[in-house]
Amino acid sequence: MANKSVWSDNRFWQRSAAWITGFAAVLLIWLTFDTMGQISMGNDADFKNGVTKRVPGPTVINYKITYEMSTKRGHEVPIIGGNDGQGMSLFQEKEKFFGRDDWSEEEAGALLHLGKLGSQTKNCMNCHTLLGNGAYYAPDLTKAWLDPAWGPEGSMQAMTGKDTKEEAMAEFLMHPSTYPTHARMMPDLGITADEAKGLVAFLKHMSSIDTNGFPRNFGKIQGAVHGK
Amino acid sequence: MFEPFTDVVPSFFGWLNQGPLTLTIFLHSVILLPMLWIYKQEKARLDSEG
Repeated sequence: MANKSVWSDNRFWQRSAAWITGFAAVLLIWLTFDTMGQISMGNDADFKNGVTKRVPGPTVINYKITYEMSTKRGHEVPIIGGNDGQGMSLFQEKEKFFGRDDWSEEEAGALLHLGKLGSQTKNCMNCHTLLGNGAYYAPDLTKAWLDPAWGPEGSMQAMTGKDTKEEAMAEFLMHPSTYPTHARMMPDLGITADEAKGLVAFLKHMSSIDTNGFPRNFGKIQGAVHGK
Repeated sequence: MFEPFTDVVPSFFGWLNQGPLTLTIFLHSVILLPMLWIYKQEKARLDSEG
């Protein structure tokens, strides 16, 4: 029996399978806890202490958010309240959101919660994509707040006749079928003024989440951003 | 193969996944190298039994 091969030996395969299964189980449990740390929401104190979190706290709606190329990371990153020149947020420059830049943590949290529930009841994901989840029928909403079309020079803001980005977005959400946008027009979903406010806060917060540059090339492909 | 860590939140998995193939090479190493060790042990056992 000197020629018996290891490859046909049961014990070799049993031990290999036990090693791979055990190692993969430990790795997946570790990865779960690692992910939970990465996706937990920050708070207001992070902004005051200059701590960058992947998911900032709800009071991020008080700050100006931009999307800037980071040469170090090789993609665009959300910059909250001004850039320190190294591609990191300064958390200083504020921006009024529906006339206020002093939303408390509780108020902002409640507004975001309303927006999140609204996005679920109106089933935005049935057509849009949010953070990589959803459909490709309508534009990706992950960075919708940063879309220049909603900015002061943008066609969407001009179309709604409003003076600010948040008012323009809220107006569009309340009466989407009034505005000609696209061959695929958004239907009127019966969104109230309060719900629209919450949804815009939800979108502003979502745009501040560091998604490692996803979606790729946001702001560079004309059709992808302007929805034409 | 080894590049400076640039992700926003420090993480072992983030560090592993910074360059092309780094995660793949790591996972294949930790799975296949112990299998090589198991192979040698079983070979020695079969030889001694034979």
